[in-house]
Amino acid sequence: MTTEAAISIQGLTKDFAIGLRGTRLRAVDNLSLHIGQGQIFGLLGPNGSGKSTTIKLILDLLQPTAGKCLIFGVSHDLAESRRTVGYLPESPYFHRYLTGRELVGFHAGLAGLSGGQLARRVDEVIARFGLSNAADRRVGSYSKGMLQRAGLAQALVHDPRLVILDEPAAGMDPAGVEEISTMLLQLKAEGRTVVMVSHLLGQMEEVCDRMAILNHGRLVWEGTRADLAGASGRQALVVDELSMEHLGDLRQWLEQRGSTLRGVGQPALKLAEIFRRHTAVAETRRRF
Amino acid sequence: MSFFSFCPRRAGLIARVTLLEAMRQRLPQILLLGAAGLAVGVQGLRGINFGLPELKFIADLGFGGMVFFGSILTIFSGSHLFYSEIYGRSAVTVLAKPVSRTEFLAGKFIGMMGVAALFSVVMTVVIAFVLYTRESTLMQERPELFEHGGRLRYGDIFAAGFAYGLRFGVLAAFTLMIASHVRSSLYAVMASFGVLLICDLQYLAQEAYAHTGTTPLRLLAGLIALLFPDFQVFNLADLAGAEDGIQAEQLWRVTGYGLCYIAAAGALAVFSFKRREI
Repeated sequence: MTTEAAISIQGLTKDFAIGLRGTRLRAVDNLSLHIGQGQIFGLLGPNGSGKSTTIKLILDLLQPTAGKCLIFGVSHDLAESRRTVGYLPESPYFHRYLTGRELVGFHAGLAGLSGGQLARRVDEVIARFGLSNAADRRVGSYSKGMLQRAGLAQALVHDPRLVILDEPAAGMDPAGVEEISTMLLQLKAEGRTVVMVSHLLGQMEEVCDRMAILNHGRLVWEGTRADLAGASGRQALVVDELSMEHLGDLRQWLEQRGSTLRGVGQPALKLAEIFRRHTAVAETRRRF
Repeated sequence: MSFFSFCPRRAGLIARVTLLEAMRQRLPQILLLGAAGLAVGVQGLRGINFGLPELKFIADLGFGGMVFFGSILTIFSGSHLFYSEIYGRSAVTVLAKPVSRTEFLAGKFIGMMGVAALFSVVMTVVIAFVLYTRESTLMQERPELFEHGGRLRYGDIFAAGFAYGLRFGVLAAFTLMIASHVRSSLYAVMASFGVLLICDLQYLAQEAYAHTGTTPLRLLAGLIALLFPDFQVFNLADLAGAEDGIQAEQLWRVTGYGLCYIAAAGALAVFSFKRREI
């Protein structure tokens, strides 16, 4: 197993020229990141913070003003570097006159598959993302959720080592978000590296091994899930049916051991949890 | 940089999808029907042949319709097929695969050429069929017209159709060159029609200035002749009815001329598209 980074970015900077005077807008500012293999890496940040621009720079869809980027040690401006990459863009749009099967087959061919291997992989990913019944319909007639699934199918059809997902759960219901989370963990279990851009902080926190926050194109924080847990230096206990008398005992017990009980409250169920609980009955309904 | 990275198979896949997408749209079908309808219906216009021999009139009007509708088809469908990828962002997904921009553009161009070639083949076959039908009728009705020969050479009809197809290829390459550089599809369409006009009419400037004009005008005419192909070169239909017909050497020269301009426009398109931010 090599220790080579899946993505290695050094001093990446991107300026856009705006207006007739060519005023410069810095979208990504001296960004350096090393994303190790086999992990789920989350890229967070407010709108306009440079997340999607960073992804486009990695994929050579935009040319950097400065800096360099390597994908598994290969310079990102070589088409060859993308042989091992699967990419799902934000709000994917495809050739609407193709059928789902033609579309996935087309992308498999572009990634280098051919013959029986291509046909087998296309069938596999179409089945994996629940598109079998719609595979021979034109993509133009697909719903947003089905487009998202077709996007995932084309991203994974060539069995990539690195999967880059830009807002994979955008516009999905909580069941769909949960399904995406499950898929991300599955991809990781298969040994793939996943880079995900999302605004769904809860999902990021749940599945990502490492996260980075961008703001105004700059890296303002980078760390692991463990770093998040330890960041406050506090712990929380959730206890069922604790009487006032026992609460007093607990406070005293903690003080005897040098700790302080800072607050007592009643944690509410998360809305997402209630939503899932009440909609879970629809086991067989269409998820996306 | 991946400027020279090229895999014919990937370009072929993009060309196939481009052609498939074009064929499933309405515009090419409507234009093809319109042009074929004109070629077939031209027999009804025999009364207004301006004194031309009937078969020549039919061929002129048929090929004229082919050039008119084919040029519209090449510019509109070429521009649409390129910008639908950019505006629709499907190019993002394609270029995120191990596809170089050269392959992408080559695929687009071959797909556009496929549309033009299909149009040219169908139109040439329709024109040849109409000519053959009318010629057979005339041979029975007025055999004296053919006493001294004068039968049509159908090989020349197809050679003329090939030359017009090549002309559409040159126009497609110029359309792609413009589209790869500018961001507005409307501007690309307008500019492509401008190029078509210059290419079609530049022979007038050549005749007017190349020999008799002042030095600056001669230089300008020379520059235009160098930068823009002269589309009259592709008009071999007139030779199809001439005594000697179309010579193989002429066809090779026209093919070489067209391919040179396609290569030059294609290289400029790649150069421009390489720097384009998707």
